[in-house]
Amino acid sequence: MEFFGLLVISGMMNGAIYGLVALGFVLIYKSSSVLNFSQGHMLLLGAYIFWFFVGSLGLNLFVSVLLAMVSGFFVGVLIERLTLRRLIGQPLISLITVTIFLSLVLEGLVSLIWGTYPLQHVTVFPSSPLRIGKMVLTTQSLFAIGLALASATALIIFFRYTRIGLAMRGVAEGHQIMQSMGISVKRILNISWGIAGIAATIGGILMGGTLGFQLGLSHIGLLAIPAAFIGGLESPEGAILGGLLIGLSESIISGYMGNAAGVPAAFVILIAVMFFRPYGFFGLERIERV
Amino acid sequence: MSSASFYPPSGIYSDGYKKDMRILKTRKQWILSAVSLVFLFALPHIPYINSSYSLRLVIGAGIAVIACLGLNILTGYCGQLNIGQSAFVMVGAFTSGLLNAYLGWPFWASVIPAGLAAAAVGTVFGIPSVRLKGLYLALTTLGAQIILTWIALFGLTITAAGFSVEPVKLGGIVFDRPEKFYYIAMFFTVVMTFFAKNMMRSKLGRAFIAIRDNDKAAEGMGIDIFRYKLIAFAICTFYAGVAGSLLVHYLMWAQLESFTLQDSIWYLVMIIVGGLGSIEGTIFGVVIITALKELIFVIGPIAEETLTFMPIGAGSGLLLIIIGGIAIFFLSFEPRGMAHRWNLIKAYYRLWPFGY
Repeated sequence: MEFFGLLVISGMMNGAIYGLVALGFVLIYKSSSVLNFSQGHMLLLGAYIFWFFVGSLGLNLFVSVLLAMVSGFFVGVLIERLTLRRLIGQPLISLITVTIFLSLVLEGLVSLIWGTYPLQHVTVFPSSPLRIGKMVLTTQSLFAIGLALASATALIIFFRYTRIGLAMRGVAEGHQIMQSMGISVKRILNISWGIAGIAATIGGILMGGTLGFQLGLSHIGLLAIPAAFIGGLESPEGAILGGLLIGLSESIISGYMGNAAGVPAAFVILIAVMFFRPYGFFGLERIERV
Repeated sequence: MSSASFYPPSGIYSDGYKKDMRILKTRKQWILSAVSLVFLFALPHIPYINSSYSLRLVIGAGIAVIACLGLNILTGYCGQLNIGQSAFVMVGAFTSGLLNAYLGWPFWASVIPAGLAAAAVGTVFGIPSVRLKGLYLALTTLGAQIILTWIALFGLTITAAGFSVEPVKLGGIVFDRPEKFYYIAMFFTVVMTFFAKNMMRSKLGRAFIAIRDNDKAAEGMGIDIFRYKLIAFAICTFYAGVAGSLLVHYLMWAQLESFTLQDSIWYLVMIIVGGLGSIEGTIFGVVIITALKELIFVIGPIAEETLTFMPIGAGSGLLLIIIGGIAIFFLSFEPRGMAHRWNLIKAYYRLWPFGY
């Protein structure tokens, strides 16, 4: 039972981070209906940029987090400007493949600048454990869950009540209509990539603090993709719930089955969900009939 | 299609559909094709370029052509993104390898079962395509890559460790060296290319193109989308299985490390650079990317040695940037790939000096 509780706690914590990264998918999908396969690598780059500010420049932790988030925003904006902008009007399949190759370029960039070995560890959170009964909670997991929930709430409010958020939802429906209503589609797409960059960076800092700053961080993207899909690609709250579901199942399954079964299990769940509810639990169902 | 949009030279009349559908329309094309076929099979006997290094490259390219042809039929012709092709190559490779290592089936008996096994697995992963399109489908194929690799790694002890496979035998000849296996690889490459080219100009190919261009219109015209999508999946993965079977009998060793997500992405790069929806383009893409890969493997270590200020592993980083960069460049600036460029060059040559 104790073991199970531990698995649940660690699953919740990882799940919250997957949810956070999945939010990045949702954001980009909602505004441009593109699935960004490079989200995991944006996370990697964000984590390394954070490490650069803390480890190499020796800046204060909070300043570095802030600076990393700002850089994350600009990384997202730059990616959109340099690659996706050129492909407006191309079939969706090329947009998706571009993001696959983008992930290669980002990983290459990281290993070109920082090398392929893991970087020196940086303590992000104070490691004073909290005890509830027999279970031990790290401050980190609380931070992760809190931050993920806060970001999700912020995004839901953002999409529902702000001008830009509403414009993003409109842009997802059709570029021409929004353009004719006086909204700059390009600017909206740009901003949504920037915000996705911020979400990836936060996830990267949280994950880097736990797993260490290494190239394997990008694999989180592989788990965040099923999370976003199970929740439904249009829904921020779905992304968080999907993330928690994937995190829990990953930690419980690999806890009892071992053998790194977490990632394949996530995809098995994903395929099962897609058989029965192709648009996820909270996604918009688009009905197409001939 | 790219080739249909270019008219044959003057004096070639297509007075009938049969003539219009010919692959080789002019006498010059016949001669050039025959010469290049002879050249292809005579390569091991031509001095200076018949080193086993270059033969190994050509064999690798030939096997990649088979896997990429399948991928191009599914992704380029039918429009269903597949980012797990190397997992299906793996299914074929292990099927053929296990049949050989345990039941003693020779290559010739196991190559078709390998393709069929891969096709069966591929069709299962293609079933979600009934209800899913583009982006969602990309995920099931990514899932295929991850799940199948996991099964091979933890499900069966034999496939995780790797095992040896007997070389191909025909009569008394054992094709155990690159100089000999070359003929087997080229034979299969040529035959599979011919099949692909033929399939894509038949009813099947036209149905695939219709589904890619507008699936609703295609269904309205009476094409059973689900059935044709599954057929596309089956063909794609059958090609992958044959490629895998060839690969293990060539290496005489079956191991998991040859079939990673990275390899699947390589296959995608090859067909994008070559040209989506083009059989010739597939070959162009494979040749260009194979050459480039080899170049980077030569340059990478040298660059890493001379540029000492770079961190360890920077060479592999450079490799990734170059691959990704090239693919993004082609998608942005030449979305129709080298096949289109090739047609432009042909048209230029034909019309010269009055190219207006």
